[in-house]
Formats: sequence, C-alpha cells, structure tokens
Amino acid sequence: MQELLDFARGPLFRLSFIIMILGLIRIFILDVYNAIKAYKRAGDKRLAWGDAIIKTLRWIFPIRSAFTRRPIYSVVSILFHIGLILVPIFLLAHIQLWKSGIGISWWSLPNNWADMLTLMTIAGALALFLGRIGNKGARMLSRKQDYLWPLLLILPFISGYFCANTVLSPQAYQFTMLIHVLSGELILSLLPFTKIAHCVLVPLSQFIIALAWKFPAHVDDEICASLNKKGAPV
Amino acid sequence: MRTNVITSEEREKAFAPTKKPDVIERQKLDVRYHVEDYDVDNRPRRFLEAFAAILKHTNYRLALEHFIRVSTKCSRCAVQCPIYQATGDEHDIPCYRSELLLSVYRRHFTVGGSIKGRLTGSGHLTDEKIEEMAESFWNCTACRRCTLECPAGIDHALITHLGRFILSEIGISPRALVVSTREQLEGKTGNTSAIPLPALVDTLEFLEEDIKEEKGVDIKFPLDKENCEFIFIPAVSDFLMEAETLMGIAAVFKATGGSWTISTENYDAINYGLFYSDRILERVIRKLYAESERLNATNILIGECGHASRSAKYYVPVHCGGEKAKPVLNIMEYTYRMLKEGKLKLNPNVITETVTYHDPCNIARQGWIIEQPRYIIKAFCKNFVEMTPRGTENICCGGGGGTVSIDEIRPYRTLVGGKAKGDQIRATGAKYLIAPCANCKKQLRELVEDQKIDCEVVGLHDLIYKAIILDDGQTENQKTNRKG
Ligand code: HEM
Ligand code: SF4
Repeated sequence: MQELLDFARGPLFRLSFIIMILGLIRIFILDVYNAIKAYKRAGDKRLAWGDAIIKTLRWIFPIRSAFTRRPIYSVVSILFHIGLILVPIFLLAHIQLWKSGIGISWWSLPNNWADMLTLMTIAGALALFLGRIGNKGARMLSRKQDYLWPLLLILPFISGYFCANTVLSPQAYQFTMLIHVLSGELILSLLPFTKIAHCVLVPLSQFIIALAWKFPAHVDDEICASLNKKGAPV
Repeated sequence: MRTNVITSEEREKAFAPTKKPDVIERQKLDVRYHVEDYDVDNRPRRFLEAFAAILKHTNYRLALEHFIRVSTKCSRCAVQCPIYQATGDEHDIPCYRSELLLSVYRRHFTVGGSIKGRLTGSGHLTDEKIEEMAESFWNCTACRRCTLECPAGIDHALITHLGRFILSEIGISPRALVVSTREQLEGKTGNTSAIPLPALVDTLEFLEEDIKEEKGVDIKFPLDKENCEFIFIPAVSDFLMEAETLMGIAAVFKATGGSWTISTENYDAINYGLFYSDRILERVIRKLYAESERLNATNILIGECGHASRSAKYYVPVHCGGEKAKPVLNIMEYTYRMLKEGKLKLNPNVITETVTYHDPCNIARQGWIIEQPRYIIKAFCKNFVEMTPRGTENICCGGGGGTVSIDEIRPYRTLVGGKAKGDQIRATGAKYLIAPCANCKKQLRELVEDQKIDCEVVGLHDLIYKAIILDDGQTENQKTNRKG
C-alpha cells in the first residue's frame, strides 16, 4: 500500500500535472491562434476591446448577475468555485509537498478556513448535481460528463477532509489518502480534454464572440466558388 | 423576466399547420414557414459540403471550437429566452438549439468527433436532424438575450445565424425573405417591397403636400442630390406604411438645415442577409455602399430600422474598406445630436398621453442606441414610462430575426414570440408605444391586435412630427440672439 501511495504521489502526480499543464497550454494556444487567424481575415479590424473586457470581468466575477437572474444557482456556483480553486492551491499540506518536491512555497490558508471551504465545495458540488437532476431542462441538455464532474470533484475533497480531520487506522488512512491522490490526479489529467477546459478558456469567450461577428470581406465570392454557385440567382 | 406558459388553446393556434400535406411531402420539410421548392436529394451530404465551404472561408470555426470546449450545459439561458418562457418546451432552450449544430460540427469537423463517430457508427447528420434544425433555428428570433446569460460566454444567436446560413445554401430559407431579396438584388425595382421609382416619387410628392397642409411649411424630400452630408436610406416599407415617420424625419432636416438626400437607385436599407445568409448580407451591403459613393455622400444614414441599422453599421466596414469606410448612423443619432446642440425645438405640450419605448434588439443589445431616443423623448413627452427590463436587456418584440416578414407564422409570433413583450406593454398602460424599427412596428401592431392591448404603435419621428416647431422666423431670431 505504501509503495502504491508513494508511486501515486511521485511519478503519477508529476505525469498528471504535466498532462494538465501541457493540455491547458495547448487548448489555450489553439484558441489564441484561431483568434489571430480570424483577426487577420476580418474585414473590419476595429474590435470593441473595452466592451469585451468589461463583459469578461463580469463573467469571471458574476456579482451582479448573482443577484438579478438565477440567484441560488449563481451563489452556489461561486462558492463552489472558490473552494475548488483555493483549497488545492493554498492548503498548507499541499504547499509542504511542493516545498519538499521542488523547493518553492507560498502563502497558505489557515487550516480551519480550508476545512470550511472544503465543506462548502462539497455542499456546492452536491447542490449543483442535484440542481441538474432536478431541473427538466438541464436534464435534457446534460451529457455524461456533466453529471460525473461534480461527483468526481467531490472525491478528493471528501477523502482529503477525512484524512485531515478524523482519526483513522493506518490502513484506512493510507487507503483514503490513495483515493484522495488518485482522484485528484484523474481530475488534473482530464481537465484539458473536458468541459473543465473552461478554466482557461472562459476568459477568452467575449473576445472570440466579438471576432466571430467580424466577417471576412469576400465571403460571397469565395463560398460561391467553393460550392460552384458563381452567378447563380439569389 | 417571468412569463407564464401559453395556454393549450394558444398553443393550438400558434402551432397550427400552415401547409398542405402534399407540400410537406414534396419538400420533405415539416416546418411552419413556406419555402420554395428545392433539391431534396442528399440533403445531409450537401449540408456538410456547404458547412465545410463556409468554415473554410469565414471565422466561424474559431467560435465553434471554443464553444464545444466550454459549453457546460447548465440551462441558465432558459431563463432569458422569451420563446422557451412561452412554450415551456425544452427543445426551445437556447443551449439545446445550439447543440443541434454543435453536434454536427463535433461529429464531422473535429478529429476526435469523427473517430468516435466512426467507431460507434452513430451521430452522423441525418435528414431528421436537418429538419429539426430548419424548425428550431427559425423558431428563434435571434434576439441575443440568451447571450447575456450564458456563464461560459456562448453566443447562441451566432450559432442560429450560422445554422440558417448553412440551411440557406441547400435551399431551406423562408420564401418570404428569399423572394423579397431576389427582387432587391436582381429585380427591376431593386427593393424588397417592389416599389417602382415613379411610385416612390409620387409618394414623396404626396407627403410634401401633406406636410404643407398640416404644418404650413414647404419641405422637400431631396432626390439624388450629390455631395450631401447624408444619404438617407430607410427600410423601403416605410414609404408604404410609415408616412408619419418619414414626414417627421424630413421636418427634422428642415428644422436643422441638414444636407441630405434620398437616392433614386437604392432606397431600401432592408438586409435580410443578416437573417439567413452572410453572402446575401454582403451583396446588399455592397449595393448600399455603391449608392453612397455614386452620390458622394459623406455619411450613410439609416432610417428607423433596427436590423438595417445594425447590418449597415457593422458590415459596411467589414465589406467596404474597414476604418476608411464612410460612417454609418441611425437617424435617431442625428436627431439626438441636433437636439443636444439646440438646433431642434420640440413643443412639450403636444404629447400628453403616456408614452413608452421599445428597444429594438438589433440596436440596443450591444449598447449602441439606448439613451439617445430616451433623451429625445424626455425632451417633449411629459408622461414617459419605462418597460422593465430595458436597454441592453430588453425583450424582443417577438418578430426578430426576420420572422416578422413571414406572414404565415403570425400566430406564432404574436402568441409565442411576443408573449413576454405583450405582458410588458400591458404593464406600462401606455397610449403610445414607440418602436423605432420597421420590423418591430409591424410585429407590435399585429401583437397589440392579437393580444387585444389598447395602445398605438408609432415611430419616434411620428411623435416628433407632431411636436416639432418649424417657425422659420423664430429659429432665425434665436440664431441671431445666440450670435449676439
Ligand atoms: C478561473 C477559473 C474558472 C472559471 C472562471 C470558471 C468559471 C465557470 C463558469 C462560468 C461555469 C458555468 C456554470 C456555473 O457558473 O456553474 C463553471 C462551471 C463549472 N466549473 Fe468552473 N471555472 C473555473 C475553474 C474551474 C475549475 C478549476 C474546476 C474544476 C477542477 C471547475 C469546475 C466546474 C464545474 C464542475 C462546473 C459545472 C457546474 C455544473 O454542474 O453546473 N471550474 N465554471
Ligand atoms: S436569441 Fe433570443 S429567441 Fe433565440 S434562443 Fe436566444 S433568447 Fe431565445
């Protein structure tokens, strides 16, 4: 068990982390590359930058919409995200791992805060999951990954919480820790290939929409040529 | 926004069949709008070919790639969609509508999707899917409200726009739009209402006489004057239906001494291309621009019309030289500026009834024209009430995205599309409903009739016409006063 845990914490962690980083960089660069290509082709190169920036900020900090549209959903989603992002990065235990691994460290969350955020995230994920099951529209739209993600995300949080806050027998501790580490790594390696890619792509949305509405200047000629419709009547 | 779902009686009316079974059979298309006969063979293959060609020559791939990655299927957009709010049918949730096309893209134009599709032998484009898209994309009014809500930043209206474009390439577009556009681009009259030039000239003379009679002032509609500051192009239907709007505009020019002209070769700014085909959009824009060059006008001024203004404002630069293209303005921007500069006088005692203002989606959603008309209205209407929501978050009249021109779906437009709008209008209790858009005006008139709301739909310049002060002497006096 201990060897397995060491393997999961060592090489497997490094692998999943690299997959995540490279994967996220890849999709981000692809998006930016497509955007640059589109910009070069656009017949009108004036973009409403300010507008896009304001809208982007509004999406990342959805304070206003939280109180006007679907308040419960918004608040739950915000709380869920806060824990989801803060805890893995700023938990003292995680930082110590970094420190022993590559020798860098940073500010950490007080442990009782981390616990609270963890519970908040678990509750948030459950609420999002139930909200999805309970809403006819959402049910109709949902794919497998939409149900699985909240559940998968709960795993490392629950197992981590148990490891940190309960007295477990050594075997039980190791087993729970293994679940914690493996589920965490599964999440990291799936991030770039699923909808969680949104964590790097959402900030680009508004710029991409603005660009997509800027058409190239000669679509008519070119598409007609491609489809053999030159000179065809309207 | 919260609207009650329509009653089963209303549903029956709104969704009643509009076509004979043999037409549906022949065209293999069970949708409520009429289409011209088209080649029904191999639709999926031809759809994909068109899709591929469009992806190759446009910027849509950028958006689609992004959307398939970020879509989180949360269904929040449902709250914003007036159609879904009225029907309560999950097929009308914006994200569902978008997925129809996104799934085709994923399956046929991404590596992962086509491998998966081949392995499982599923998910490829079928005739049924094409029919579903043909129905769904034209149920949408392209109002872009859902875009406000999507937390992932997906622009569902862009997808509808693209979906309609691809469908049009295989011959599936509302006949009403195609026939009008054909007349505009290839017909003798060169405009969507098929008004011949002599009839236009007659109409304008008639309006001039009317103004003389009502206001006692000689006002001309200048034709084909070169080197003016503005070439004025309204939706051509205004010449048939909106006499008061046009007279109001002429009066504003008279009062402010603006230099303007109407062209005899292109007097129609309607651009149905915005609703069904980027290729058509481009042709109409180029035609419009060529006329502004012929008359050597400095600016292009579009009348009270939302989609015509949006298409000219955003696509003249795209197709006619980017930054260097002539500026495009909406008439309300001109009137606003003149009023602000004190060149326009309006009598505040003429309009005493309650007035409300409908924001046309195409000029309000992006925040372009919202406060200007309100500034004008507040300058002379004592009793102005707002609808909520308004401005960038306004609710569509229910006839957006070209659907207003499809007469056979009127019950759908006024009972489903316009349901939320109707509630909004009723809540204001207004006597005058200002809707500065040819499409909104037509739709709202039908809506207040069908929903039995007691209110008169007018243009902004209709009311200005009633209140404008055209006393030459007085204006002259004020000019000298200011100089002194
Ligand atoms: C800066 C980073 C991030 C931003 C701006 C962001 C933003 C969003 C947005 C806008 C949504 C849309 C729906 C909603 O609000 O619930 C969403 C949903 C979601 N996010 Fe994030 N996110 C970020 C990071 C992450 C990370 C790192 C994860 C997981 C590891 C994650 C997991 C999720 C999940 C599971 C949902 C779907 C919730 C549902 O079932 O409706 N997010 N996120
Ligand atoms: S554009 Fe308007 S009508 Fe169409 S799906 Fe979005 S909210 Fe609904």
